Amino acid sequence: MSEMNELAAKLLSEGTVKVVIGYEQGPAGVRPAFITDPAKAETLIFDSRCVQNLAVYLNPRRSHVVTLGKVAVIVKGCDSKAVAGLIREYQVKREDIVIIGVRCGGVVRRADMTAELTADTVSDKCQDCDVREPKFCDHLVLPLPPAPPITTRRADKIAELTKMTPDERWAYWSEQLDRCIRCHACREVCPLCTCVQCIADKNRPQWIPTSATLQGDVMWQITRVLHLAGRCVDCQECERACPLDIPLGLLTRYVAQMVEKRFDYKASDDPSVVAPMGEYRTDDEEGFIL
Amino acid sequence: MNLYQPYLMRVEEVIDETPDVRTLRLAFQDPKVAEEFTFSAGQFGEYSVFGEGESTFCVASPPTRKGFIECSFKMTGRVTRALRRLDVGDTMGFRGPYGNKFPLDTIMKGKNIVFIAGGIALAPVRCVIENVLDLRDQFKDVTIITGARSVADLVYKYKLEEWEKRDDVRLVACVDPGGETPDWKGEIGFVPNVVKKAAPSPVDSYAVICGPPVMIKYTLPVLSELGFPDDHIYTTLENRMQCGLGKCGRCNIGDKYVCKDGPVFTLTQIKNLPPEF
Amino acid sequence: MTIKMVSHADLAALVAELIAGNTQVIAPVQAKENPAATDYKQIQKLEDATLGTLPRRSIKEFLFPPSEVFLRYKQHKGDVTVEEASLTRPKQVIIGAKPCDVASTDILDKVMNWDYRDELWFARREATTIVSLLCPGLDNNCFCTSVGAGPDSTSGSDAMLIPVDGGYLVELVTEKGKALFGARAKEVTDSKLLAKVEELRQEARKKVEQNLPVVPAEMPEWLAANFANVYWDTLPLRCHGCGACTFVCPTCHCFEIADEREDVGGGVRRRNWDACQTGKFTVHTSGHNPRNTQKERFRQRVMHKFSIYPKRFGDLLCTGCGRCARVCPGGMSIQEAVCQLMEIAGAEPQGNGK
Repeated sequence: MSEMNELAAKLLSEGTVKVVIGYEQGPAGVRPAFITDPAKAETLIFDSRCVQNLAVYLNPRRSHVVTLGKVAVIVKGCDSKAVAGLIREYQVKREDIVIIGVRCGGVVRRADMTAELTADTVSDKCQDCDVREPKFCDHLVLPLPPAPPITTRRADKIAELTKMTPDERWAYWSEQLDRCIRCHACREVCPLCTCVQCIADKNRPQWIPTSATLQGDVMWQITRVLHLAGRCVDCQECERACPLDIPLGLLTRYVAQMVEKRFDYKASDDPSVVAPMGEYRTDDEEGFIL
Repeated sequence: MNLYQPYLMRVEEVIDETPDVRTLRLAFQDPKVAEEFTFSAGQFGEYSVFGEGESTFCVASPPTRKGFIECSFKMTGRVTRALRRLDVGDTMGFRGPYGNKFPLDTIMKGKNIVFIAGGIALAPVRCVIENVLDLRDQFKDVTIITGARSVADLVYKYKLEEWEKRDDVRLVACVDPGGETPDWKGEIGFVPNVVKKAAPSPVDSYAVICGPPVMIKYTLPVLSELGFPDDHIYTTLENRMQCGLGKCGRCNIGDKYVCKDGPVFTLTQIKNLPPEF
Repeated sequence: MTIKMVSHADLAALVAELIAGNTQVIAPVQAKENPAATDYKQIQKLEDATLGTLPRRSIKEFLFPPSEVFLRYKQHKGDVTVEEASLTRPKQVIIGAKPCDVASTDILDKVMNWDYRDELWFARREATTIVSLLCPGLDNNCFCTSVGAGPDSTSGSDAMLIPVDGGYLVELVTEKGKALFGARAKEVTDSKLLAKVEELRQEARKKVEQNLPVVPAEMPEWLAANFANVYWDTLPLRCHGCGACTFVCPTCHCFEIADEREDVGGGVRRRNWDACQTGKFTVHTSGHNPRNTQKERFRQRVMHKFSIYPKRFGDLLCTGCGRCARVCPGGMSIQEAVCQLMEIAGAEPQGNGK
């Protein structure tokens, strides 16, 4: 049992929390675990296969998790930014959760891969990581592993796309999004998709067609990514969850870069820092309206 | 014609029952269909406005009256809002009839029938009432107990007048306390209490009850106390039917499909359903 | 059981002939730069296909597309004219289909023919010839043998290819399959090959059987009687309700009917895939939702597959392909759920169980 397991067991046995959300070994790879029994806390693991962002289970849309009671959630640095986002947007109260930060050396791209981190297996999100040791947490556990291997895979792809003409880019994305079957897995795994009534579910008017036609697929992705501008923490869960391997992480990363450039803002793990789309200032640029 | 293809209907008449309930009388545009179309009391259909979508309602008019069908609805969503925009002469769609029926020609034949309806739920019950009244000599006593929040909210007021005048029907109409008008001559009270007071006999009787969930919840014990056995109490369920033919997988309650095993169920059958409706 | 032989060359020639005759030929195609990117795609020649790979989506989309127009309407003021979408479908031949995908076709025929014949389904069904490929058993997510299917099952296939040196043995299952291969299917001259087929079949079955015991015949009734079992409270906690499992599943078939305006004065009515896992699937106009949390929704999926469908139609609504477990972002596994339920039910493991 590591300090993480011991901490989880203690929080449960002392009644500080009713459930600890962490990672466990499942039949098809590492998966989220909900531990309510202190005796089971030893099944929690943390290694480079722990790619999931568990902050999504704090999303108040998960009514069946909310009813469990006070929650402790195990987060990597990137995940802690999502927790901060939920608190910033008043979706979760700080005092209702216990945040257990784990020091991270990078994760692989998919939960069913082996733990070996190489330039090929490492997740794209680890390249731009600035929080290998989470700062926003109540407890910080586990020793700091070495830094993740370098891969410029995603940056290269974005550079390639930005060099394309609009027609070429449209051809690329049409081909990618044509596979979309509108399962909305990208929405459901996103911690920041908190709308009780998603715009895609509204039918008066039907802003976004429900059919899996290219028009609807493109509209859905554009809307989703724009709604996440300045809020997305680049956990890449949307891309991981997509059953058809649509490279959604390219879109979210690109929009995050735009936000950084225009508003000098990166998704923050400090809930008191306001996101650009979450406030207005009298000196905001208005050239696009006037 | 594939099975999802609707019949084309023409709106013949638009009747505003209450401030929020409207009835449409529809005729089949195809004369052959108009001639041949039949259905049974209890069945439902998918009514559609092209470009907006489909909505599930019962057929409110009885199968004994040919040449048209009627539906009554409240404006609650996209399709019903579009239905309200329709005018006489406009075209809309209808798919049906779907579902099972009230056993008027078997179990209920020759028996006393007690109808209990609340609010807009008088629509599905009205179909059965008029079916029974059109075949009056096949049934014994007919009791109709219907209520609404207020006089303004009573649907089919013109039908209530008709039934009031008949001496082979016992009609008890009621409104919630505070919903009466100065000239209201009916009962004042909630439907469960009015049923208790009216005390229809359970002997050789079948009850047909439809209404908002809260009304049903409090009226069923009254019927049980009066002596109605569970398998003599019938109701219809709506559970978000969409295809109406058992394929879209949406309306099932446990292993019963409301569009195929229902929408007409006895209380015995309902008590055997898992709590998922 | 008619087993013949067909060489690689003859199979390629058959594909070429079909394409020349305007029949669409569909096969698994694996993208070279990404082995996970395998899909059933239309091919222009047999070499484009990567037979033996597992596509991400099942063949159901060729019989039941993700979005299908079934009528077009034109509107002018209050008048509407409706044009029924044609039911003529292009002929299609699927080559190298996974047996777990193909087994879904006969299973789904039952609901598609339940009192009302779904011509949208049967029009494509009749226009399709399916040639499956013997599967060696893939990984520990497969459990086709426990649900009445198998890596060697010919259920739903018109013919099954079994890879041998120089080409394939082909089991001609239906008249359609026989007609498809025609004279290209030659007599088997080497009797050792037939023994080899048996060997390959047994190996594949043994590999998959160790993943999950056979689902007992009493399971549907037991599940119906245990609707409120506390197991459902804890199992679906990690489920995101995303529907990815539903959409890659060969037997999931829930759909919605939606109207779309395409133009001023005209539009279409479509049948689109839908999933019981999504939050709004059963929400009523009043706002009441009989399946309000993921607990009820996940239970519905398991019930539909292992209780509701078999009680009514006799077949489990699952072919054990394992895709749901492979794509689930939350680590859910129907195989695991069924295994745990069998344990709770006190079922004796049948076959080579865990």
